[in-house]
Amino acid sequence: MLPIRPKAGRPSSGTCHGHESHPAVTVVGLATNGTVLEKAPPEAPPRPATPRRRRSLLPYGLLLPATVLLGLVLGYPLVRLVVISLQQYSLRSLFTGTTSFAGLANYAAVLGDDQLLPVLGRSIGFCAALVLGTLVIGFGVALLLQRLGRGMRTAVTLCLIAAWALPNVASTLVWQWLFQPGYGVVNWLLTQVGFGDLTQHDWTTSPASAFTLVWLLVVWQSVPFVALTLYAGLSQIPRSYYEAAALDGARPWRVHRTITLPFLQPILGLVTILSVIWDFTVFNQIWILTQGGPNDGTTTLGIWTFTRAFSRNDFGQGAAIAVVSVALLVAMTAVYVRRLVRSGEDL
Amino acid sequence: MIRRIGRNVTAALFCLVWIFPVYWMVLTAFKPAGKILQPTPEFLPFDVTFANFADALAKPGFVQDLVNSVVVVVAVVALSIVVAFLAATALTRFRFFGRRGFLIGVLVLQMVPVPALVIPLFLGLKSAHLLDTLFGLILTYVALVLPFTIWTLRGFLHGIPVELEEAAMVDGATRGRVMRSVLLPLVLPGLIATSVFAFITAWNDFLFAYVIMKDSSGYTLPVWLVSFSTSTGTDYGGLIAASTLFALPVVVFFALVQRHLVEGMTAGAVKG
Amino acid sequence: MRRRTFAAALAVAAVTATAACGTDTPAPSAQGGGQLTVWLMNGDLSDKATAAINAAFEKATGAKVTVQIQEWDNINTKISTALAQDTTPDVIEIGNTDVPLFAANGALADLTPHRDELAAGQSWLPGLAGPATVDGHVYGAPLFAGNRAVVYDKQVWADAGITAPPKTFTELTQDLDKLKAKHPAADYSAFHFPGKYWFGALQFVWDAGGQIATQKDGKWAGALESPEAQKGLQAWKDFQNAYSSAASRNVDTKAPDQAAIFSAGGAGAILDTSVNTVVKNKPELKDRLGTFPFPSATPGKTQPVFLGGSDLVVAAKSRNPDLALAYLKAATDPAVQRDAIVGIDGWTPISTQLIDQVTPTLPPLNAAFATAAKTSVATPAAPGWATIESDKSINTFFADIATGRRPIADAAKDFDAHLTEALNAR
Repeated sequence: MLPIRPKAGRPSSGTCHGHESHPAVTVVGLATNGTVLEKAPPEAPPRPATPRRRRSLLPYGLLLPATVLLGLVLGYPLVRLVVISLQQYSLRSLFTGTTSFAGLANYAAVLGDDQLLPVLGRSIGFCAALVLGTLVIGFGVALLLQRLGRGMRTAVTLCLIAAWALPNVASTLVWQWLFQPGYGVVNWLLTQVGFGDLTQHDWTTSPASAFTLVWLLVVWQSVPFVALTLYAGLSQIPRSYYEAAALDGARPWRVHRTITLPFLQPILGLVTILSVIWDFTVFNQIWILTQGGPNDGTTTLGIWTFTRAFSRNDFGQGAAIAVVSVALLVAMTAVYVRRLVRSGEDL
Repeated sequence: MIRRIGRNVTAALFCLVWIFPVYWMVLTAFKPAGKILQPTPEFLPFDVTFANFADALAKPGFVQDLVNSVVVVVAVVALSIVVAFLAATALTRFRFFGRRGFLIGVLVLQMVPVPALVIPLFLGLKSAHLLDTLFGLILTYVALVLPFTIWTLRGFLHGIPVELEEAAMVDGATRGRVMRSVLLPLVLPGLIATSVFAFITAWNDFLFAYVIMKDSSGYTLPVWLVSFSTSTGTDYGGLIAASTLFALPVVVFFALVQRHLVEGMTAGAVKG
Repeated sequence: MRRRTFAAALAVAAVTATAACGTDTPAPSAQGGGQLTVWLMNGDLSDKATAAINAAFEKATGAKVTVQIQEWDNINTKISTALAQDTTPDVIEIGNTDVPLFAANGALADLTPHRDELAAGQSWLPGLAGPATVDGHVYGAPLFAGNRAVVYDKQVWADAGITAPPKTFTELTQDLDKLKAKHPAADYSAFHFPGKYWFGALQFVWDAGGQIATQKDGKWAGALESPEAQKGLQAWKDFQNAYSSAASRNVDTKAPDQAAIFSAGGAGAILDTSVNTVVKNKPELKDRLGTFPFPSATPGKTQPVFLGGSDLVVAAKSRNPDLALAYLKAATDPAVQRDAIVGIDGWTPISTQLIDQVTPTLPPLNAAFATAAKTSVATPAAPGWATIESDKSINTFFADIATGRRPIADAAKDFDAHLTEALNAR
């Protein structure tokens, strides 16, 4: 993740004597036990790496493999996607290679579709609910991990990893079973606890409860990544800061605001942006659990792209929807991304 | 004291909720066929059978798909680490034209919805004559994980003071040597973190494996996993046992890596 | 130590990269070498039945055949991308309702000149041959048919005081009422009929004289708003709501699996394509099972059934078109159909003559399926039909009705509009 640099009280970095005092202050994406905490330097956050100002071709050389790979496997398809969005591209085009230029017709069709606004609203709302849920729970678990004893911490970490490691095919299947009308364990449990007889209840009959079902699954799947990453970030905050705050008698909430949040900000930023990107385009979980129904009530941009491109085999319109959704994502995250890119520069 | 108990209770509840679906999967995998669908659930393994696992392993294609998966995953993890490490070095140790553009561009590439990517990616690999090759599949996965790995490693490298390298260069080390013997050990935890991500991505993907590999001799394990669903119904016992087996390597890999992660951190701090 | 680990990792990377490159080299391609590649779908034909077709083909041509089994998940994307490549499989099995999609888009070889040779005097079932015919050209030959009949547990029915299978729809509902009285629990279904089970629900529409869509002057129009279709939809809703549990109104046949529910004793009867899945789940049920065609509302008749199944097609870019044709000939051969498709796998054969021929010889459990197949209807033979199945709008349409989320007329109006748009696309 991003390096953690304290915003306030940064001591002068003249104390860096090369070898023996080198502090490995990095945010570990996946710290899994408390060792990180112990190893974090008690004082003196490091001087950030300063990019060299020398002009050289070397950096381009170093970037070359990544550029070639990304260019070939993602960049070229992205360009191609834009081109397809300007074409009349059907299955026949795929088989024969012949296409015809359609101008902005696909965009006109997509932007003029009655479905557009509801789909956008649902996508944004659902994405917000997912990101918020994932971050709040993930952050809570990270804080909890920081305060737990070794044994309990290992237990929580293992649960997180197990949930994360489960293949998508398995998790969606297990989810269907858990919430299955007539046979689902969750319905059975809710009935036992006293919510009335829910054994025959079907979670996918109304859009709201269908979304809840998908929300639970996606949050369950994404919390591990967020919690472990944020925990790793937390464990890099020097203890002395908290001790000083405690001496000053600061209240917990204030400690959070003045120490934890500023420290975690860059990493929180990256996790948020990644969550927004992943949750905005979430497709598989919705498709398997609800197929976008009932009455298109759970049709988000991902589903819409899929049904246009693959159910109707209108790849032109599918591509246009994808381009629109990328543009939206860029717009939604632009401010944050800029800040994030800058945070990697000199302070 | 009360607080500590409160925390532990919260943690225990959390564990219960988060592990339950996994527990349910493993438990079901050991249930006999007739007990998989029960109106009143059983929460403990009263009637254990290994028949589902035997069914799963007897499914044709398992060994071949496993070999393909291992080749693909090892190559993806290794390649993505090397490529991302080089790129992250450039991004944090040099100032050059196009740096920010590269970072932003990489993030934008992540934003394309996967269903929309399939056909253009297919067309791209077709023009590059990489269809139906494991190599093409490997390159695809590497590219899919690169945006994340580059950003992550960039963060790690930033945390490492540049003075360390300068000192080594003063001592007469070449730049390549500095990268190898100074930067690399320090950034090891970051490499491990990103390798987990790459591992899970390459191990779990079904769609690209199915579309890119035309010949069934090139399929990976996720294709084997969906083969339990056929036109005449789904073999749920076999599928759930197969899923359990399928998730196992990821957990094992994680357990292995966790040890190295700690080791890497300790070594980095002592020797660095 | 650490460095060594990394060096090792690099070495592994290098090795695997080379290994991967090694496997790249295209396998020596089979042009002219008498080698045919055939794609079949997972779960349709058994290995034994496939081997019988292959043997007939190899005997007739002396060529070798490689069969690859494909998975259903994302199959249309898989076939589309495979057909878009320069080297394609030669013969592909495609679900009958999806054939028009590929036939209408130039991906398949035109078999019109060979139709008579392939049919060899047989009249192919319209449900299989219809979708393979686009604008008068034939693009595929049928492989097998599958359709649905009622599967029930004789002992459970006998315990409820029912001794003979129902002959009419009224008898059926009377029997189900008895079952319901015997098993009053809310989660018990006298007849488990999932709300998204459109193959089954359509039988009621057709039985009432309705249709999914009609074609006039080359233009399709959704026809579910017609009075006949409305009557059928209402009959289905009444039946579903009366005899299937509330939990079944918004589910499909797979989650929860209807055969599993039935074998676990949660249902008195189901509508299925065979008894095989039930027997596999609970072998001891084998001798207790009975089957009968779903009775029509018109006494003395049975409900028209949805005819599923597959066609074999030849890729337009196949390098072995002659061998591919020979493979189709082997698969449609009456002897192979009798021995393999019917004899080994218990599917319905591809022509009316074959059905008449084999029905007397069938075991009683299979006979009901063959009888039911004689009154069969196919889905509209338009490339846009694949859209309706793929976007699941037809599943949702029936679930809307079963759950009562929407009045039948409203649901039909919107679905007709969707049908009209999709079926006329391009």
